[in-house]
Amino acid sequence: MSRGSNAGFDRHITIFSPEGRLYQVEYAFKAISQSGLTSVGVRGTDSVVVVTQKKVPDKLLDSSTVTNMFHLTPRIGCVMTGHNADSRSQVHRARVEAGEWKYKFGYDITADVLCRRLADISQVYTQNAEMRPLGCCMILVAIDPQQGPVLYKCDPAGYYCGFRATAVGAKQTEANSYLEKKLKKKPELSHDRAVQLAISCLSTVLSLDFKATELEVGVVTKDKPKFRTLTEAEIEAHLVAIAERE
Amino acid sequence: MLGEAEPQWLSEEVKTGTTIIAIEFNGGVVLGSDSRVSAGESVVNRVMNKLSPLHDKIYCALSGSAADAQTIAEVVNYQLDVHSMEIGEDPKVRSAATLVRNISYKYKEEMSAHLIVAGWDRKDGGQVFATLKGLLTRQPFAVGGSGSSYVYGFVDAEYRKGMSKEESQQFVVNTLALAMNRDGSSGGVAYLVTIDKHGTEEKVILGNDLPTFFDQ
Repeated sequence: MSRGSNAGFDRHITIFSPEGRLYQVEYAFKAISQSGLTSVGVRGTDSVVVVTQKKVPDKLLDSSTVTNMFHLTPRIGCVMTGHNADSRSQVHRARVEAGEWKYKFGYDITADVLCRRLADISQVYTQNAEMRPLGCCMILVAIDPQQGPVLYKCDPAGYYCGFRATAVGAKQTEANSYLEKKLKKKPELSHDRAVQLAISCLSTVLSLDFKATELEVGVVTKDKPKFRTLTEAEIEAHLVAIAERE
Repeated sequence: MLGEAEPQWLSEEVKTGTTIIAIEFNGGVVLGSDSRVSAGESVVNRVMNKLSPLHDKIYCALSGSAADAQTIAEVVNYQLDVHSMEIGEDPKVRSAATLVRNISYKYKEEMSAHLIVAGWDRKDGGQVFATLKGLLTRQPFAVGGSGSSYVYGFVDAEYRKGMSKEESQQFVVNTLALAMNRDGSSGGVAYLVTIDKHGTEEKVILGNDLPTFFDQ
């Protein structure tokens, strides 16, 4: 039911198309896949894990300066997928929002509230003609003081939700089906199993045998609730455990 | 008597007429403060902890107007929270002191608070900074508040370079006890915070456990 064109701008700025679509928002999702990377998050019984590929395309790059994992507060971490510059902008905004919350209300912000706040900000970009949505997706992890381990995701459309496991990026459809299958029986996932499930998901879906230098793993656990990234040696230990199980 | 006058303490500004001190030792710092908050002649809080955290290993000691000092400490705490996330490591003590100084200088006409900033960082170890009236200077030790005038002689005579952690803690406690004895606006208990590379330790020394001098 096309009722004449919207002067053809519905693809250029965030206004509705005659079919009720926001093309700019849809293009933002395509931008996330542009980076070619995929990230996976898995929630276990007493920990949450996020894993992403570490691709260093240029031999001249210093790989220690390349990362997609960020601390937002000492206890909330995130992995960013998509456009690098947009990712850093969203991370910076998240840090400031978390800091302001602590200053204004006197206690640490929780992951779900921070995720909602960022999603609300992303929604504004889908309503403003002069600003484009950000081409990146954030998966947040934390140990919530009341709810325990939590995994949240917010996307350029301004949608956010809590997950048991989720994937974002170039191969997200395949990765999400893999995770659905593995979590169908609602298994109890220990910390190690959660890490290994996330890594296996990536290697299966990308058909790659990872080396420890090609992965970034971020974790929060109930005994160590501060977000931290695993060292190469720790990742290697998990890769060995996965290989031994097969 | 035609109508009772309003009690004076209702209209007096709440000040932390205070004694505060911070000293650097090899490997860290010790901060100390008394606990009296006065509004004119009335003590409105006899157990206030004037050593406020700015970050895990950086504390500041508050003196002057209670509201002004607390507000500066809270704002700088917020700024350091975001800053430490952005740089990915613990902030430098000098950064914290600079943030405090920038606020003190910008609002030097409107506010009256003096914060002594002290802490430990990986680059320069233990450091003490004074930020009185908007200056920034690093010192081996610093005293502040109304009670400090009574103990300048004591600290100048008794301070030695290269004291150990325990000697520094004793020095701080002695200074606080002497000042609290003589200054009407200082009193209560003594709060001590010791910061070194292993961590931060907070301690309270109750009134009757404070060191006594010739007149007691």
